[in-house]
Amino acid sequence: MKAVPSGAGRYIWCQSQLVWLNMAMAARLEDLEGAFSANQSGLTRYSAIALGEDCAVILALALTNEKPLPTRSMRPSWALERIRDHPLHDECWSLIRSFPADRSNGEIREDCLKLVRAVREIVGEVPDGLTNEGLFPGVALARDWNKMVDELHQESFFPKEWIRSAAPKSAAT
Amino acid sequence: MVQPEQPAHPSGTAHRSSLDEVEARLQAYHQVGFKEVLGAITYLRDEGDAVICGGSLTLGLGNRLSDLDIVVAGQVSAESSRIPLQHWVSSLRVDAWKLHRDALGELVERAEEALDAEGPIDGAFGDIFEEADLKLLHRVAFGILIDGTELRYTVSRSYEAIAGDLLVREYAERARSVALLAQIALAAGSWVAATSHARLAVRSALHASLYANGVAFTGDKWLRERIDAAAPALVDTHEIFSVLPATPDLAKTFTLDAVATVERLSKLDLSLAALAGQVQFDAGDLRLHAVGDRWFLVSLERDSLWELTSGEAETWRRVATKGPWSCVGDDEAAWVLSFDLSALGLTKMRWARGLPVAELAFDQVALT
Repeated sequence: MKAVPSGAGRYIWCQSQLVWLNMAMAARLEDLEGAFSANQSGLTRYSAIALGEDCAVILALALTNEKPLPTRSMRPSWALERIRDHPLHDECWSLIRSFPADRSNGEIREDCLKLVRAVREIVGEVPDGLTNEGLFPGVALARDWNKMVDELHQESFFPKEWIRSAAPKSAAT
Repeated sequence: MVQPEQPAHPSGTAHRSSLDEVEARLQAYHQVGFKEVLGAITYLRDEGDAVICGGSLTLGLGNRLSDLDIVVAGQVSAESSRIPLQHWVSSLRVDAWKLHRDALGELVERAEEALDAEGPIDGAFGDIFEEADLKLLHRVAFGILIDGTELRYTVSRSYEAIAGDLLVREYAERARSVALLAQIALAAGSWVAATSHARLAVRSALHASLYANGVAFTGDKWLRERIDAAAPALVDTHEIFSVLPATPDLAKTFTLDAVATVERLSKLDLSLAALAGQVQFDAGDLRLHAVGDRWFLVSLERDSLWELTSGEAETWRRVATKGPWSCVGDDEAAWVLSFDLSALGLTKMRWARGLPVAELAFDQVALT
């Protein structure tokens, strides 16, 4: 048995956020694959930047247990600062910085997949909610984390309108 | 006052595919056509409704992994689904929304009100469901009718013109915000934040330029492909700022050049002096506490605490004690503190007013 490295609520909040971000990378990876298959350099680079940001934020949450997360535009610099001594810092920065035109889409894709694999070796694998096989396991995992977050009175990674205390207007009429 | 009815989908939109072109892409990628797609969503349909396809595949973009967005809108359904229902047709993922046409009509009216309002667009649509509705507006406005009856609304302009103006204003306001953050990040010595915001400012201004020139909604991720296909004159501007500098010594030039580029594209004055009086920083429940000779900022709502230097504490006491604050143009310490708090996610920027489309003057861009 091991103790968590911060207060229970803060630890669970950070872990739930990183699991959610980890699951959301499925959409980025799908964009990357689609772009690679169609030789779309712009989408390849856009996806690589986003994956670099996501990986940096996931690592920062795992390493620092810091909350809150800043707004999306602030996250690359926020996360890179917090993982500056981590072995994967340069790989994250390389993707966030992006690549000149002479870097091939295939090389960028390989860089992305390598980084995502390395990050998931550290924080764990998650179901791919974009596949038939992964959809329900993904929902189940998200629900488990949400219940834990709720138990510790932390703010959910789900948008607040999704959780039970806030029924959408259309459901109330 | 009753307005004449307008078709939701005026013909001749720049850079929107024809139905045949979209179907050819579905065939090429997935060996399916609209017949199969319509078959999969038959259960959602009521008599007389419209079936509209939207998203990247209908805009001359997308690839074999892109999903197809379908909106089923009519007068029979009593409820509107705000989260899409996912279907698979062979290897094609189809996300379908079922909406009452009145819900769409209300959304367009709200969009028009937001465009007429003084306040910024950001947050004007309330909660996340309403933001999701807004994305639906774009799907419908720039989508293609596959089957059923054309939607017609009693609004003063076409759906597409309203959605287009909303995009111009939203991206122009976004460019203004991130251009400000880029400059104050530079002042704070955060060169990665400065350059990443500078790149984002250019991207936002390019989006606004495209939409101001009548190009259909692209979505953030398709910017480069859209420029390649529709506005090659903007390619160089995109490329110059697409890769961040590798070292801090190049950050200042990169950032200031990017802000100047956004100013050139938008005709907005984005200097700190010009923006200073327009924006406030709101730190919510953050309070400064002195403990001996140490200083702590505490947020009970966020269950968090930060230690300040005595210099930072002095600046906080000078500018932030009384609630939301503005920075005077040359008060660098105030700007730096405001940036540092924003970089930690502790402040929200609140703009005094939005950027009405009539005040924006994006250059005419040659479209192919």
